[in-house]
Amino acid sequence: MARYGMVMNVHACLGCRACMAACSQWNQTPFWAEDFKGKWRTRVTEIEEGKFPEVKRYFFPTICMHCENPPCASVCPTEATYINKDGIVLIDYDLCLGCGYCIEACPYDARYEYELEDLKKDEFYFGEDARHHQAHVDKCTFCVDRLEEGIEPSCSATCVGHARIFGDLDDPNSEVAKLVNTGKAKPLGPYMGTKPKVYYIK
Amino acid sequence: MDLVQQQIWGWNIATYLFFGGLGGATLALGILGELRFKMGKWFGILTSLLGLAILSFGLIWLVIDLINPMRFLLAFWIAGFGHSWIARGMVVINGAYIFGVLYAIAAFLEKDTFKKWMGYIAMFCGFGVTTYTGLLLNANVAIPFWHTPALPILFTVSALSTGCALLMLILAAMKSHEAEHFFHFVEGFDILLISLELLVIFAYLDFARLGNAAVMKSAHMLMANPLFTIGFVVLGLITPLILEAFASVKHSAKSLAGVASVLVLIGGFLLRYLIVWSGVFQYPHGIAS
Repeated sequence: MARYGMVMNVHACLGCRACMAACSQWNQTPFWAEDFKGKWRTRVTEIEEGKFPEVKRYFFPTICMHCENPPCASVCPTEATYINKDGIVLIDYDLCLGCGYCIEACPYDARYEYELEDLKKDEFYFGEDARHHQAHVDKCTFCVDRLEEGIEPSCSATCVGHARIFGDLDDPNSEVAKLVNTGKAKPLGPYMGTKPKVYYIK
Repeated sequence: MDLVQQQIWGWNIATYLFFGGLGGATLALGILGELRFKMGKWFGILTSLLGLAILSFGLIWLVIDLINPMRFLLAFWIAGFGHSWIARGMVVINGAYIFGVLYAIAAFLEKDTFKKWMGYIAMFCGFGVTTYTGLLLNANVAIPFWHTPALPILFTVSALSTGCALLMLILAAMKSHEAEHFFHFVEGFDILLISLELLVIFAYLDFARLGNAAVMKSAHMLMANPLFTIGFVVLGLITPLILEAFASVKHSAKSLAGVASVLVLIGGFLLRYLIVWSGVFQYPHGIAS
């Protein structure tokens, strides 16, 4: 039993998008989508703020917030979306109806449709190793399969600037718990009552 | 804060919301006519089956909208009944089918007590279908324009109004004394419903004027869209209200009520589409891709 969470240090993000590449390779998400239709489990967006000459530009990594009160799970008709023992919000692909209700309900734009054409591409690129076998809604799993083997999620493992810090929020000695408990890292949109477990240093 | 118009749900869902509501309302009002206004067993049987047929037509669009329509049977796996409005909607819709058909069978066999009970439960399920379509959108916390208690009320009132409109079209073609009596009841009820709908729309837009950036953006989108201002408000609400009010005082003016009914039906569809279209996500700053 753990309570996994992540801290995003926005100041440390270089915008190299190695996390997106690593994630899409490990989880076989639709990197083949020609227009990058937003089918990513994690994204890095460019943000420009202010007016010349006081302009600031930075990179903003986003991911599923693994909320403790996830709106996506509370609209799922089949309970395909559930929270596992480690507090990770997961989807049971066998139960996913594909109605898109959770995509509408998610206030963090963390979900997308893994469509039939994506299944064909997945099989084309990965052959026998293809991991997606039916159309479903897809989202970040904190690489739950890697966690079972004792390795951290592919995005934080590959992060060059140590912008993504992964760990157990219940372990007071972990780096994430220290950053969260000292108030340095804060959640996004806490007013929505979703209780996200991904925090940001901005 | 980033405001992004939702793209996941579109025509398919709007079509379903319209025909679902229309079917549920037709079922409920048709049975009401038979049970309370002595419209005769065939009226009850045909309107209840018509309501279910319309509901089925709507459901086709819902299935088409799934990522993989072949997986629609999973919708019967209603494990999320405790919290999800799709799961609860499945129960209500199935209830409408089961009790609607049982009512029609009982009416055909003229088993009066059984028919009455089945009829009342089917009416409840029919009303349930109309309300749940609003609650379905209402549950999306990410879209503040939908996440208001006004939406289920608006959809319920609009669905019942379209149901009245359809029944008026059917009743206008009937000649009996009972049909005349029920026609005037439905007409009066529709006038009340359209007035209520105008009131709810007014309150809704007034609420949107005052607050929350995403809600304001949704309202601006609606107000800037002629389909809403002219199509829905003027042609779909105000015109039929005037026509029906005029027709209700002139007893021979059934054709006016007929025109009003068609306008109400078009307006009801436009409302569903426009509400779905104007959904705007309110993401924390940086989330939108």
